[in-house]
Amino acid sequence: MALTRINIGPVHPSTHGVARLVVDLDGDTIVKIEPHIGYLHRGVEKLVETRMYMQSPPYMEKIDYVAPMAMDELYVATVEKALGIDVSEKAGYARMILLELQRIASHLFWIGSVTNDLGQSFTGFMWGFRDRDIILRLLEDATGQRMFYVNMRLGGITREFPKDFEENTIKTLAYLEKRMKEYENFIEKNPIFIQRMKGVGVLSIDDAINLGVTGHVLRACGVKYDVRKNNPYYNYETLNFHPKILSDGDNLSRYRVRIMEIEESIRIIRDSFYKLQSAHGNMVGMPVKLVSPKPVNKIAMVSREAPRGEAMMYLVCDDQKPYRLSIRSPTFINLAALNHIAKGHRLADLFSIFATLDMVMADVDR
Amino acid sequence: MNIERAALLPTIEKMKQSGFDYLVKITAVDYIKKINVIYILRSLEQNKDEILEVEIDPTDAWIESIMKFYLGADWYERELQEMFGVKIKGRVAKRLLLEKWDGKGFPLRKNFVWNKSYDKE
Repeated sequence: MALTRINIGPVHPSTHGVARLVVDLDGDTIVKIEPHIGYLHRGVEKLVETRMYMQSPPYMEKIDYVAPMAMDELYVATVEKALGIDVSEKAGYARMILLELQRIASHLFWIGSVTNDLGQSFTGFMWGFRDRDIILRLLEDATGQRMFYVNMRLGGITREFPKDFEENTIKTLAYLEKRMKEYENFIEKNPIFIQRMKGVGVLSIDDAINLGVTGHVLRACGVKYDVRKNNPYYNYETLNFHPKILSDGDNLSRYRVRIMEIEESIRIIRDSFYKLQSAHGNMVGMPVKLVSPKPVNKIAMVSREAPRGEAMMYLVCDDQKPYRLSIRSPTFINLAALNHIAKGHRLADLFSIFATLDMVMADVDR
Repeated sequence: MNIERAALLPTIEKMKQSGFDYLVKITAVDYIKKINVIYILRSLEQNKDEILEVEIDPTDAWIESIMKFYLGADWYERELQEMFGVKIKGRVAKRLLLEKWDGKGFPLRKNFVWNKSYDKE
């Protein structure tokens, strides 16, 4: 039978940004998918070459606009490594708290969009977004901004936490723990949701490694790799936490890994607040100056467990500006695997697979 | 680890056999007189990263594809070809990945001129 070629996007409710998928179908079975990306390509890597080191964080935040703090922190950490600046213990815990809050907010956003894509009407969407906003309010208290924080400074963060920040956060986390049970009842006990997720979009462990997928997609296949554990940064090694691993590699595993990650993040934040009380050093970093210290390392490479997977920056230094900044964005490589995962499935399953991969197109295109 | 262009495929094959089964990233840096293509490989079992650097001449910029070892190399190689003009040998050529324009020049090379219209050349 002749193949049918259909075009989805560039703007489509289920493509999460400006993504275009050209799908070859045999009946309604997918034979091949060719993702067309680049609609949001801003050339960030080239832009930073024209700016001083600390002029770039606002650009970095827009790479992944659902989790701006993660990219901001990654860039500043890379520059810190190049300039040879140490982060104090206290600033490390403060950054960990903010990053984990950002991770929870990003995952909640994703729960909203997954349930929306799977046709669970609007309820899941509103639930996810409502709880995310509570976290954003906390971040606003701490940084002064709701979404694009530009909160990282060389050696620390912009300002001390406000007085009631800890109390509010702990209260919110208790509320969130209660809510996670409700999510479980609402979503995971829904037979339609399970039917569309279980056994759909299976990726084997060998393929996952060969394709180089990252983050929750990799961990849902049974690979034990979490940068926070395998290559710890800040004070993660002082905390007792475990990366969440499942082995089925299907949509439902990807979903469950994320839910468990939220619960783990809640624990990390609690422990970090406890340890912050006795931590040494300064929380506030250096003020932004156009003239920065001279780089001590010519090349700096830093990787972080961002909410969507492992993000990495490779920085080659010039005197006052980056000579070259190469960004490994997690969603880029996960999207490259889409064809492999979705081949052989029905067209209707494409959207549940695409949704569980958690695409942010700005992050793919950079 | 610096290696010759001709030694790329044998080195990668050897590394893959010794447990470096995960490709983290392929990228490049333009040093004007040379282009360094960088392969970051990882052994998940040993929890170790290894960086391979291959120097190539910008006027004769090509490199072998490593797709037969790592499927994940696909988009990185296409990005490399598009942004640095490094031709990838031994794989099917595909359309541009990121850019929607039919422009000339390679954006991440240092001799790329900003704000120049390439349409009329």
